[in-house]
Amino acid sequence: MPQYAMVIDLQRCVGCGACSIACRNENNVPDGIYWSDKMTETVGTFPDVRFHYIPTLCNHCENAPCVRGCPTGAMYKLDNGITMHDPDKCIGCKYCEFNCPYGVIYFNWQTPHPFWRETTPLIEGCTLAASEVTKKAGGNTLPYANPDREETLPGIRPKGVVEKCTFCDHRVKKNLLPYCVEACPANARIFGDISDPKSKVSKLLGKFRPFRLKEHLGTNPRVYYIRGYNPAQYEASKGDV
Amino acid sequence: MNIHKKNLISKMISDLKVSRRRFLKASAAGGALFASGVGLKPQFTALAATDQTPSQEAGQWMAGTCQGCTSWCAKQVYVVGDRAVKIRGNPHSKVSLGASCVKSHLALQQVYDPDRLKTPMKRTNPKKGRHEDPGFVPISWDEALDTLADKIMALRETNETHKYMLMRGRYTYMRDILYDRMTKIIGSPNNISHSAICAEAEKFGSYYTEGLWGYRQYDVQNARYVLIWGADPLAANRQVSSYTRIWGDVLGRAQVAVVEPRLSATATKADEWLPVKPGQDSALALAIAHLILTHGLWSREFVGDFKETTHRFIPGQRVDEAHFQERHTHGVVAWWNLEVKDRTPEWAAEKTGLPVEQIKRVALDFGHAAPRAISWVGGGPCMQVRGGYSSMACHALNGLVGACDNEGGTLASNKEYTKKFPKPDAFMDEIAKKGKKHEKIDQRGRLEFPALKSGKPGSAVLTNNAAEGILHEDPYDIKVALGYMNNFAFSCTQPERWEQALSKIPFVAHLTTNASEFSWFSDLLLPNTHHLFEKYGYVKSIANGYRHVTLMQPIIKRIGDYKSDETEVPWLLAEKLAQRGFPNLLDHYKTYKDPETGKAPTNEMEFSLYALKYATQALWDPSEYKGGDRFNGWEDFLKTGVWNSDPYPYRKRWGKMKTQTGKFEFYSVTLKKALEKHAKKHTTTVDNVLKVCHYEVKGERAFIPHHEDPYIAGDKADYPFLFVDHKSRLNREGRSANCTWYYDFKDLDPGDENWDDVAKINPADATSLGIKSGDPIRITSPIGQIECTAKLWEGIRPGTVAKCYGQGHWAYGRIAAKEFGKTPRGGNNNDLIPVEYDRLSGSTVRHAGTRVKIEKI
Repeated sequence: MPQYAMVIDLQRCVGCGACSIACRNENNVPDGIYWSDKMTETVGTFPDVRFHYIPTLCNHCENAPCVRGCPTGAMYKLDNGITMHDPDKCIGCKYCEFNCPYGVIYFNWQTPHPFWRETTPLIEGCTLAASEVTKKAGGNTLPYANPDREETLPGIRPKGVVEKCTFCDHRVKKNLLPYCVEACPANARIFGDISDPKSKVSKLLGKFRPFRLKEHLGTNPRVYYIRGYNPAQYEASKGDV
Repeated sequence: MNIHKKNLISKMISDLKVSRRRFLKASAAGGALFASGVGLKPQFTALAATDQTPSQEAGQWMAGTCQGCTSWCAKQVYVVGDRAVKIRGNPHSKVSLGASCVKSHLALQQVYDPDRLKTPMKRTNPKKGRHEDPGFVPISWDEALDTLADKIMALRETNETHKYMLMRGRYTYMRDILYDRMTKIIGSPNNISHSAICAEAEKFGSYYTEGLWGYRQYDVQNARYVLIWGADPLAANRQVSSYTRIWGDVLGRAQVAVVEPRLSATATKADEWLPVKPGQDSALALAIAHLILTHGLWSREFVGDFKETTHRFIPGQRVDEAHFQERHTHGVVAWWNLEVKDRTPEWAAEKTGLPVEQIKRVALDFGHAAPRAISWVGGGPCMQVRGGYSSMACHALNGLVGACDNEGGTLASNKEYTKKFPKPDAFMDEIAKKGKKHEKIDQRGRLEFPALKSGKPGSAVLTNNAAEGILHEDPYDIKVALGYMNNFAFSCTQPERWEQALSKIPFVAHLTTNASEFSWFSDLLLPNTHHLFEKYGYVKSIANGYRHVTLMQPIIKRIGDYKSDETEVPWLLAEKLAQRGFPNLLDHYKTYKDPETGKAPTNEMEFSLYALKYATQALWDPSEYKGGDRFNGWEDFLKTGVWNSDPYPYRKRWGKMKTQTGKFEFYSVTLKKALEKHAKKHTTTVDNVLKVCHYEVKGERAFIPHHEDPYIAGDKADYPFLFVDHKSRLNREGRSANCTWYYDFKDLDPGDENWDDVAKINPADATSLGIKSGDPIRITSPIGQIECTAKLWEGIRPGTVAKCYGQGHWAYGRIAAKEFGKTPRGGNNNDLIPVEYDRLSGSTVRHAGTRVKIEKI
């Protein structure tokens, strides 16, 4: 059984967020919910300023607090290391959301995609209502809804349950890379089996000193980061006293 | 919204000592887990385990082209049934490298935008104004085109065809069917493109040094230094996808420096940020040239050398031209004597506000990297009142280090073999020929508008000045106008002039996807197709030492009654004109025959397809093969979707530049000739021409890249801040403002916020004004004002305020406008920037154009 992990090369990452919008697209994720997200920070004082960007997603922790705290078993681990969620078993208690130290689990407070459920056109007789667009296009709630998502989860998750990144389990199952990996224009995401020492991820983890988010919590994330977002050269010096 | 989102990176990354220990422990635990995983029985390997399912994906990937910006990347669209679902880079392109930038995905929300026009519409309220509801009602294509044809025929009957005007916005290379051929055959000189509100001044620098009126490609993969002026290739234009793909490697091999007053997306991924005072780019460029020459770092191979080793460039001292033997350049010593000798780093530090040490460091590192040192000239230094010479100064550095046309340097376009459409001449009758001879409505070529495209006075478009021509009926009044994929009432500076101009034209038709600000003043709206999914077309672009020609094709069901702007609409209009006794346009279009069958088109869909096959025949027809990728025929080409050129031939243009001297000109004989020609036409002097154009230079310095202080509107006492306009990595040329993803991800632009339109102010400045992040503010310039939100940010030069272009729509759609037709969402930067031009290139000023004041509301 492969053990899936992701390595994010921060030097290749340009902070464009294509991963996040592509994820919205692949997984039919509603606005305001970020299965794929980022943390940014501007540090320093003009003109010595730096902007830092770290892409984030579900860490698919080996020791997952969201799974441990779930009272119904709706949040569970697959044998390949993916942390999955079953909305049918979910009672919407949000324990997982509170237990997750990374803030990557989201609760659906409202019927998803309200924009696409609107029934009034902007200009009567001249434009369409959003819901008519979906109907005419032949989509599902969203006109551009991706039917592939339905293979392992409801294509659109209902109100009152949580949702989060699944490492695109529906794609991995078919030997396709998670869509954020596929879509990353910078080739900054590398995915594979860390139990195989010959895999690309294992090789990278052997080459660079990786870090993971909040390692001291012992969650053992399966998302690793290598290199730096700002690999700037600077003039060598010993500083001064 | 998730509260954890606001966690700082520093909190997320643990103390390294702890994490190191934990990491080792975790690895051990992980190892055990893997071991147990191996022994699992098959029934446990549930859900996401790799199974034997042969099927991959439900849909299929079909070739198309993205025109969200002018990178013009080759794409593939994931089509399920007849519906678009996803977008990715076309792996066959050697230009876009299979990468797909963030903004490409927004095309899905554009094509399925509910606020797209589904049918032609006509105005029922004859009164035009910002606060007049046009009262649009749906009509048929038949009625719409009948109306337009009647209006055109009325002009032909009164010999006033020159009073017809075509305004072009985003185009494909099918453009000439509508933009050129149709305008000419009707009989008007007035085909006005948007080009001058885009970046023409950028091309001025490369033309008047190396004879290249066009965008350059940058060989960054082979470069050792990349110096970027006012361009943000990781966010906006050009080749965002392919630069994104290779940037991590570029950073590993080259030093990257970004000159821009705000910390741009590219500056966040650079070694060096040079937050220059707006409008002082040329001071920095000249100081770099000064240091390169005084430190002997110029390219001997390209520029040449002193005849005697004892001769040198010494600061402040003239050099005898006879002592220097130039090779592939012209006038390096003249440039030194007239300008560069006095442009010391100390002088530049004063002008630019940058530290002397930084200027020296960048200049010497750049020089030492020669010839693999790129000076990358973006719109920032150029789209300014005195931007023409800044464009030359920044570009001249490529000549100095021998990067021009060289490996790891700046390159022109590769050869491609598309064919022009048939000539219109035989179909232009007497009325048309007479009509076409009139002066153009944008007044190009007048004394104050030299518009020196490719060395020819009066040849560059003055897009934004067409509004003045229309308003003042100078040279004459416009009676019928057709605009397509443009929105000058939003995208031009001082757009209110366009509101007035369009209100004045008796009949305006607009071919558009959305009811935009331009549409609001139109009489007829024609629903256009979306380029990526719904029409035939092709475009060309360059990067990575290649050129590609990439196709558009209809690949999804049109859910509205859309017709494509550049082929279907002109054909259908030509039919209407023929019915009215004017068959010339239709007869002309019938000459666009299918190269495979020799058949003439009989309807608009055949016309679209045949025109595309005609133009690209040499790329797909094996019997016409001239170079680059090979195809077995049309179907093969259409399926692949993109043709790649042969690799770039480095140094082939050395000694054969298209300048007057055939060399790279530091002293521009080419510019001298063009300016003298313009002065002669107006029986005046070059000095006077430049004075009228708001330049200060006199005499010989007019022909070399030189420094002038910027020409900026507003008094410093009343308007303390310089306004900095920039582009978003989510802008699809201002057409993504009705997409929810645009706002839900707006903070991908460094310093910006989601669902808000912020002005970025340095905290030091903001504190003195008592302004905090999140405060609603009003920004006022000498010509207008906008309201938006304050954002305190260290990534912006004190004394300047930066705001992203793209929001501030009061029409376009339910998301774009806060209240459609009434209230804007955010503010439009164009309401602040006064109408001005770099008159030498015709470009509209966007940068270093105005001072502003900021008030808390």
